[in-house]
Amino acid sequence: MAKKSAIDARHYDVIVAPHITEKATLLSENNAVVFKVANDATKPQIKEAVEALYDVKVKGVNTIVQKGKSKRWKGKPYKRSDMKKAIVTLVEGQMIDITEGVS
Amino acid sequence: MQIVETTNEGLKRAYSVTIPAKDIEARIDSEVKKIAPQVRMPGFRPGKVPANLIRKMHGDALHSDALNATLRESVQGLITDKKLRPALQPKVDMVEGYEQGKDAELTVEVEVLPEIDVPSIEGLELEKLNVPVSDKALDEALSRIAENQKSYKDAPKTKKAGDGDQLIIDFVGRVDGEEFEGGKAEDTPLTLGSGQFIPGFEDQLTGVKTGDSKTIKVTFPADYPAEHLKGKDAEFDVTVKQVKVESETKIDEDFAKQLGLESLDKLKELVKGQLEQETAGLTRTQMKRQLLDKLAADHDFAVPPTMVEAEFEQIWNQLQAEAQREEDPEAALKEIEAEKDDYRKIAERRVRLGLLLSEIGQANGVEVSSQEMSMLIQQAAQQYRAEDRQRFIDYVRNEPMAQAQIRAPLYEDKVVDFLFDKAEVTERDVTREELEAAIEAEEAPAESKKKAPAKKKAAAKKPAAKKEAAKEAPAKKAAEKKPAEKKPAAKKAAAKKPAEKKPAAKKAAAKKPAAKKAAAKK
Repeated sequence: MAKKSAIDARHYDVIVAPHITEKATLLSENNAVVFKVANDATKPQIKEAVEALYDVKVKGVNTIVQKGKSKRWKGKPYKRSDMKKAIVTLVEGQMIDITEGVS
Repeated sequence: MQIVETTNEGLKRAYSVTIPAKDIEARIDSEVKKIAPQVRMPGFRPGKVPANLIRKMHGDALHSDALNATLRESVQGLITDKKLRPALQPKVDMVEGYEQGKDAELTVEVEVLPEIDVPSIEGLELEKLNVPVSDKALDEALSRIAENQKSYKDAPKTKKAGDGDQLIIDFVGRVDGEEFEGGKAEDTPLTLGSGQFIPGFEDQLTGVKTGDSKTIKVTFPADYPAEHLKGKDAEFDVTVKQVKVESETKIDEDFAKQLGLESLDKLKELVKGQLEQETAGLTRTQMKRQLLDKLAADHDFAVPPTMVEAEFEQIWNQLQAEAQREEDPEAALKEIEAEKDDYRKIAERRVRLGLLLSEIGQANGVEVSSQEMSMLIQQAAQQYRAEDRQRFIDYVRNEPMAQAQIRAPLYEDKVVDFLFDKAEVTERDVTREELEAAIEAEEAPAESKKKAPAKKKAAAKKPAAKKEAAKEAPAKKAAEKKPAEKKPAAKKAAAKKPAEKKPAAKKAAAKKPAAKKAAAKK
């Protein structure tokens, strides 16, 4: 399959890591995979990046910002950094093996 | 699993075994299933990790485990299939180029134990050479005891002390006018001419009488152990308290009482018992050798070359170590080099007899009971310091190999005893010299087969006997090994081998030197 879009360095900046959890594996029933993405990444950017990196067709992207917990250390409050997750639904028939690395 | 026999000559067998990739895969799968409930991974509740993820994470480790297990099993299966009795650990090699997901090919090389027909143990004829204790030997032994029990009697005051007399003295020693440590003693017994004290000390006391005081001057020898006294001049003030002369000890009732016995007869009885025990040892050696020679002569079967090689290696190392200690190592080395073949034959004989004895023992249900075992362990523990003993015992209890090592000599003895029981023993009274001669004489024919230059060995009476004793050692080794082999535990048996080598080695160590010397001397 010929690649539709060339891989660009910025694509790697958008997709941070696959998010592998019990819940995420359950989503595979809906042909969706979950990534940790950069906090400032937009849905179109994520779509573009996934399509470029994994050479698949993306049906839709949903995102969530998971807020960092506020913690205290030596009485002083601080906040853990937020994390953006992207649930990427693929077009039927496509799949990503997220345990493999990207090229 | 496909098995192809590639070699079958003598006792050597070689097979090539192919294990299909499917088998290995299946094993990995079952392994994954087994560990799945225990796997923890962040993001998953414990045990809820999907199987394909586990496989991805731990697959490689599981694969090598599975591969090893399959290898072991197939070798095991091969052994049971072909009804092999491996002598040593089978040599298993993987054919190069195996990768995960491919069929694994193995080559298995193994040496099997020879099929030994359990030797008939009936109708063995042995001659037992008893040595009755002669009166002369008894008297000699008694006078030896008497000599050790020398007593001293007070001498009259006018007696001048001479050589061999005992003095009871007090002395104070000074170096440069100052007393030094250890230079002072009271009521010390000193036998003149015994050389107990530093040179010159005793000489100057010759001729003193009871009650004399004398100042003597001596020089400490240059090699005196105390650093600060070496080579120093010293003065000793000596007071002679008593001069005693040696008194003849007569062997009579009183003498026996002095030794804490009831009567002279009792003493004689004891000494006689001792002497009998001494010769009984010789008698046993002689009988045992007769037995072993008979067995060796009656049975001739091929023995596994590797076992012989190991045995030979051990003898050889032993000899080489001996040779190094010899005055002329070069010549000694040459000497043993020349006899290399003979030693190889000895090794073969050892292995053969060992196998034979163990076979006999097994066929006839000779066993070492756990009681005897614990006794043996206790005995073995005696040679360690008190604080280490418990540690040693614990170690032995947990180490089957160590146990085997300890058990081996007893097992061999028991088999030999068993055979003695079965054998038709004719008794004959001989003198000690005749017995020793018999041991040596039997050596010659037995050896001539195995050792071309047998005369060399036979020439020296004792050493020859000892060599034979050394020869018996291996019996233990193999004897012990057998029981384990009954199980599919081929590797166990092999593992035992090195351990058991040790007692044999030790034995040989003790006995060989003399033999070697004699040979070198001729």
